[in-house]
Amino acid sequence: MKKRRRQQRKWKRRKRWIIRTVPTVFVIILVLSLLQRLLMPKYMDDVMEGGMVQEYYDEVKDHDVIFIGDCELYENISPAVLWEEYGINSYIRGSAQQLVWQSYYLLEETLTYEKPEVVVFNVLAMEFNEPQQEAYNRMTLDGMRWSKSKIGCILASMREDEHFIDYVFPLLRYHSRWSQLTEDDFRYFWEKKKVTYNGYYMRVDVKPAVNVPEGRVLADYTFGDYAYKYLDKMTKLCEKSGVELVLVKAPSLHPYWYEEWDAQIRDYAQKHGLKYYNFLDVTEEIGLDFSKDTYDAGLHLNLSGAEKLSRYFGKILTDECGLESRRGESALEERWEDKIFEYQEERARQTYELEHGEK
Amino acid sequence: MKKKLITFMLAMSMIAVIGMTGCGKKEEENDTPAETPEQEDASSDEEEKPAASGGGYVFETDGITIGVDMDMAPIADALGEPKSIFEEPSCAAQGTAYLYSYPGFEINTYPDGEDNYVGYISLKDDTVATPEGIDLSKSKDDVIAAYGDDYEEDDKKITYKKDGMTLNFIFSGDDIASIEYISSVLN
Repeated sequence: MKKRRRQQRKWKRRKRWIIRTVPTVFVIILVLSLLQRLLMPKYMDDVMEGGMVQEYYDEVKDHDVIFIGDCELYENISPAVLWEEYGINSYIRGSAQQLVWQSYYLLEETLTYEKPEVVVFNVLAMEFNEPQQEAYNRMTLDGMRWSKSKIGCILASMREDEHFIDYVFPLLRYHSRWSQLTEDDFRYFWEKKKVTYNGYYMRVDVKPAVNVPEGRVLADYTFGDYAYKYLDKMTKLCEKSGVELVLVKAPSLHPYWYEEWDAQIRDYAQKHGLKYYNFLDVTEEIGLDFSKDTYDAGLHLNLSGAEKLSRYFGKILTDECGLESRRGESALEERWEDKIFEYQEERARQTYELEHGEK
Repeated sequence: MKKKLITFMLAMSMIAVIGMTGCGKKEEENDTPAETPEQEDASSDEEEKPAASGGGYVFETDGITIGVDMDMAPIADALGEPKSIFEEPSCAAQGTAYLYSYPGFEINTYPDGEDNYVGYISLKDDTVATPEGIDLSKSKDDVIAAYGDDYEEDDKKITYKKDGMTLNFIFSGDDIASIEYISSVLN
């Protein structure tokens, strides 16, 4: 009897403890989550490239082509043109200085959502054989949803001075950002605006390419093992998934693309039966005029240049990769109608600002 | 009610932030990451950046001494009009790197806040030489005679390191193809 009462008292104490503790823990977790949300960079009106990766999750995922890579894709290819002129539904999973292992994990993740017919990878990233800067890592990794791919991507990307736990709980990394909070951190607390057009970062301004330097002499032009390892993984993953991998080198004039690098990619493509297009070799055919078609002196194309390249590449995707137009699919047509409207609006907004000196 | 709850939560958050970062200044002084990564680009360079040309190998031309990590502005003024300047804005980050081309050599800069510092100096032809007397017409033996035995060598390059900076002699066959002074910030 005594023992039973003692047990009852014990249970009551435990119940009281649970009633007090559980809500407290819940509130603490909630507050920390809100805090984390507030303190993480929003990448909206300044460094927009940090907001690109997560935009993909809002998409209806039935793309024919997925572009995967760095700024040489997300600034040089316009999915809107591919749709309008070829009926190709595409998306660019791009991020600033996206490294090969990041491209691999983004691709791996993408293939869990959808199975495109073609994956296009820009090969400039092969120049890097090790993680570069935390800032760039963050712009790719923070936007990824939690998955096996994200964990792999973090582990492959971290520099020595980075910690996995900081990616799990970004609050640990950003906690001191409180003194740098801006209006944007509150404005985009709940919901962020779109910064791209199916992954494309639009710029209409012009800065002609002049005095573009040649590359520095290198002691060794061989791409690194780590870069090759992940290019191999990408190749195998596409093969296993029944997706055609296409390698491209965008027609950006800088950073310099060495002939020795080009030869290695050509060899690799030939060895693995992949298509490789170096658009630097066909700038005239594409119709690029680097006095008008770039906004930063040849590093990236502006809207006019990106549309020319997309027209050119769309024909290749149609003629050589066998993609068929999906015009006529009513749901897709409807989605693209909205997308094209937003795209044209942004073009008009930027053009107006440029003409009226507001940029 | 929902709004009140959110406001309450945000207020709690702010209190927690202040609590957590009451020592924010201290943390910055202690070199813990206190900024967003994109803002840190430049300042991390600052943390890594050694004192300007503090004891490393330097290049001299027309009586002007140029070392890696030196402020480029006074150097550019002293050198006069370059053959060309190429701007290289970094992807998604603040700041622009510049490549100044002068007869016989190039200087690349990296941004650090409002200023630009020498990232690397590249000697392109034999009209210019290092203060130790090495130009592109010299041989590997000449380099070793001038700079000593304390070097690292791989296939086509020999490297001397001094105070964090690197001096590379890159060879094409027996000839020197390029001489480069490189800041540790770029390595």
